[in-house]
Amino acid sequence: MAESKAILDIAHGVPPVSVSQTSTRVNKTGSWKYIRPLYRDRVAPCNQGCPVGIDIEGYMNLLREGRVDEARDLVLRENPMPATTGRVCYHPCESSCNRASFDQPVAIHSVERMLGDMALGKPAAPALEKRAESVGVIGSGPAGLACAYHLARLGYSVTVYEAESEPGGVLRWGIPEYRLPKAILASEIGRIRDLGVTFRTNTHVGRDVTLAELGMHDAVFAATGVHQSRELGIPGESLTGVWRGLDLLRAVNAGERPQLGKRVVVIGGGNTAMDCARTALRLGAEVTVLYRRSRNEMPANHEEVEAALHEGARFSFLTMPVEVTGDPREADIDPLRAIEDTFGQFDRSSEDPRVSAVLCARMELGEPDASGRRAPRRVEHSEFRVACDTIVTALGEEADTDYLPAELHGGAIRVTALGETSRTALFAGGDLLEEPHTVAFALGSGKRAAIGIDHYLRMKAGEAGADVELGELKLGPDGNLSMTRWRADDPVARVNPVNEVVRVTDLNLSQFGHARRAEDVLRPAWETRHDFLEANLGLPREDAMAEARRCFNCAVCNGCEVCLIFCPDVSISRRDDGKFDIAYDYCKGCGLCAAECPRGAITMTREGL
Amino acid sequence: MKKVIVGNHAVSWGVALARTEVIAAYPITPQTQIVEELAEMCDDGRLAARFVKVESEHSAMAACIGASATGVRTFTATSSQGLLLMHELLHWAGLGRLPIVMADVNRAVAPGWNIWTDQNDTLAQRDTGWVQLYCENNQEVLDTTIQAFALAEKLSLPVMIVLDAFFLSHTSEPVDIPSPADVDAFLPPRNAALKLDTSDPHAFGALTTPAVYMEMRKRQQEAFDQVPEAYRLIDADWDRRFGRSWGAIESYRTEDADTVLVTSGTITSTARYVINERRERGEKVGLVKIKMFRPFPTEPLRRALAGIPKVAVLDRNISPGHGGIFAEELRSALYDLPSSRRPRVDGYILGLGGRDVTPDVIGECLDATRGNQSSSSSREDLWVGVKP
Repeated sequence: MAESKAILDIAHGVPPVSVSQTSTRVNKTGSWKYIRPLYRDRVAPCNQGCPVGIDIEGYMNLLREGRVDEARDLVLRENPMPATTGRVCYHPCESSCNRASFDQPVAIHSVERMLGDMALGKPAAPALEKRAESVGVIGSGPAGLACAYHLARLGYSVTVYEAESEPGGVLRWGIPEYRLPKAILASEIGRIRDLGVTFRTNTHVGRDVTLAELGMHDAVFAATGVHQSRELGIPGESLTGVWRGLDLLRAVNAGERPQLGKRVVVIGGGNTAMDCARTALRLGAEVTVLYRRSRNEMPANHEEVEAALHEGARFSFLTMPVEVTGDPREADIDPLRAIEDTFGQFDRSSEDPRVSAVLCARMELGEPDASGRRAPRRVEHSEFRVACDTIVTALGEEADTDYLPAELHGGAIRVTALGETSRTALFAGGDLLEEPHTVAFALGSGKRAAIGIDHYLRMKAGEAGADVELGELKLGPDGNLSMTRWRADDPVARVNPVNEVVRVTDLNLSQFGHARRAEDVLRPAWETRHDFLEANLGLPREDAMAEARRCFNCAVCNGCEVCLIFCPDVSISRRDDGKFDIAYDYCKGCGLCAAECPRGAITMTREGL
Repeated sequence: MKKVIVGNHAVSWGVALARTEVIAAYPITPQTQIVEELAEMCDDGRLAARFVKVESEHSAMAACIGASATGVRTFTATSSQGLLLMHELLHWAGLGRLPIVMADVNRAVAPGWNIWTDQNDTLAQRDTGWVQLYCENNQEVLDTTIQAFALAEKLSLPVMIVLDAFFLSHTSEPVDIPSPADVDAFLPPRNAALKLDTSDPHAFGALTTPAVYMEMRKRQQEAFDQVPEAYRLIDADWDRRFGRSWGAIESYRTEDADTVLVTSGTITSTARYVINERRERGEKVGLVKIKMFRPFPTEPLRRALAGIPKVAVLDRNISPGHGGIFAEELRSALYDLPSSRRPRVDGYILGLGGRDVTPDVIGECLDATRGNQSSSSSREDLWVGVKP
């Protein structure tokens, strides 16, 4: 039954309850304030931490809203191959995730992998209007592919020169199948090809064509990577049975199954060493990894080391090879496998002495060296022998830059902030640079050069000035360049964006609940060590979506309404676009909204500014 | 549908059938089961209400006040110390004329720390502007809960339903639970005449000067004056629909009685048993149960007790320095009856802190009043069963 209207009756001019007869709107309490809240989207640390320069926070938020297709397209604006990076990138984004200070970082790589797999067979975001200029890209590793992809999207004609029979570079010939299935890679390269990029394979620049001949292009991007394996520099290195790591990986990636014998020694502590060790295990060998420092100093990714251990690789730390010894005896090989050995990798009739052991010295760790790691020192009279049938060296690689102008020879190439070398119109990226030799940095350098080339060609065409405001193009002060910012077509609406990174102390963690990070599904090691099928199966889709919901959406308003709920002056209201308005006539500047905002998306600013 | 449920859950069912929209509560023994059950109902979708968890009873009532001011049906429950912590806000609800319904499970106040029943927690809130309805059994608890919303919303007054700790709260009885459709027909959605509206903001509860404050108080008093008649109509409507009525007071076997017990809460059921026994022995005794304590049902009590020679009031409460509270209120209500028809009113203080009030204890009170030949009311209430 309706409450009595009598409550509204005014007897003797007095209402029955204390309620103002005029609207409180007449009292503009906002005039009391000296500071005012302002919605200001900042940059999430993952975005700055991503060497590719992906708007991770942006796609996490789209996923949280269930806008899966838009999330997928947002990734493709910055990264041509998310299915690849979701598998092989060592995710520095996760190391910078603010959630790590709360429980565990968001499993960003798993979410990206899901988006990448969903994007397989899907075209890239539409290209801009066609341009007249053409660009030559030397090398089709991640840097070359990224540069070609972005340039094609920017409207340029792109030709990629690749010395090998198939494109992909390290992704095709270096990274083993069990980490990155070739079909996935081929599909992502297909997306780039579909943009109109021409691939000229079996074309070695410097041998089949000269750099000068590439002068027909308006700009050139060089990204030929590093292929020359460093040598051990010890006696016996040239004995039969000593493999260079890249050669082994290349052979296996070409479909060969070389016979390595029963006992394989891998020398080195980086990711190539881990790839070699795990590949040798799959070829049926017992594997021992020799590394001259301790586990703490290993440059290899932690997850790779763990996987190698689980699959049965043994590690001998603080061990330095000093001599490879051989004898003419036949290696201890499986006769059945020898019969199957159609490639003749293992020549049983060889008269040459073949590897039989490696003589090692024990090391100890001393003071930190230039790399910050404790330098190993040889322990006197500590030599010992490790018997083996095959040795695989993985001591790092060097670039072959002979095809480039002489001034770029010798060591890493230096480039400008837009990827240009000291020679005009010649850009470089990937492992030719001083940056970390990872797929992510390579992809990032390719995108950076694409922006640099676009700027250079537009400048040449009189469409752009010489100056580029680089700061505004970066995802955070130290992040990579953003293609959506360069093209000024960010599909994510930003509110008063400020290019600074939000710290965990800027967040209001009390608004979040603890939630365990979903870990990738790993096939058991006893199974994976016998085949080249993918070892890490990623996350089931619902778990990946749950990971997206774990994202704090640092520093970006996602419409959670905490401010609206806490505002004691009812001065915050929701707009149709999901963002909020503040009625500054009534906001008293108490700052509750900024203090309560879970993600630091509201900043208190001085009144009048 | 009949179910065997404890008194606390009878409250929960009533609140759910009333389609309450906001519930804010803080747990306290022996009330907790009420809101636990409601929380489960909200969680599993049986009740489409917003359950607000808070950090104290003060906040619970504050949340209820805010919610009710927006025009939604609002409920909370508490006991004892929790109710005392709400005291300031009870006035805000009362003078704010907000039809909040609250269940209080009567529990003695500390110290000494005590979780058992007596009425001092609710009677201490006598003047906060809340209607108070005391219940005798679980069926009455459920019915009164639903009736309370109708009454509260009819007159824009908050209503407190009161039930005894453990004797009702934790005792299972068969309860007839009406169908939701029937309750919907009895109690339509709340239609607030005055409510917070952010698109037309007004200030509520702001400074009110001596020039107008007293008029507001008078309006509140006028609303309380209407409660007995409004409740009579609501109760009659309930009776028509569900075949049960409870009354602001109830007279039991008072015809030709020379002595009448006046009780409230679960003591009433025990007293009925005593009256039945005595009637079988030919004693002319009866019983009047007081359900409505605020507003005090003065006229019904005068009609029920005029001409009865002797009245014994059983008070499970004490106003220190004065006496049993129901007895004092009753003496005041009967004062201006003509002396020939004015009963002598004896007061008994018993059952405090959950002490048992057995048929023997009640019989003792009855005998004392019947054997007392004095013609005038005694101002000294007797403490029953107290160790020397």
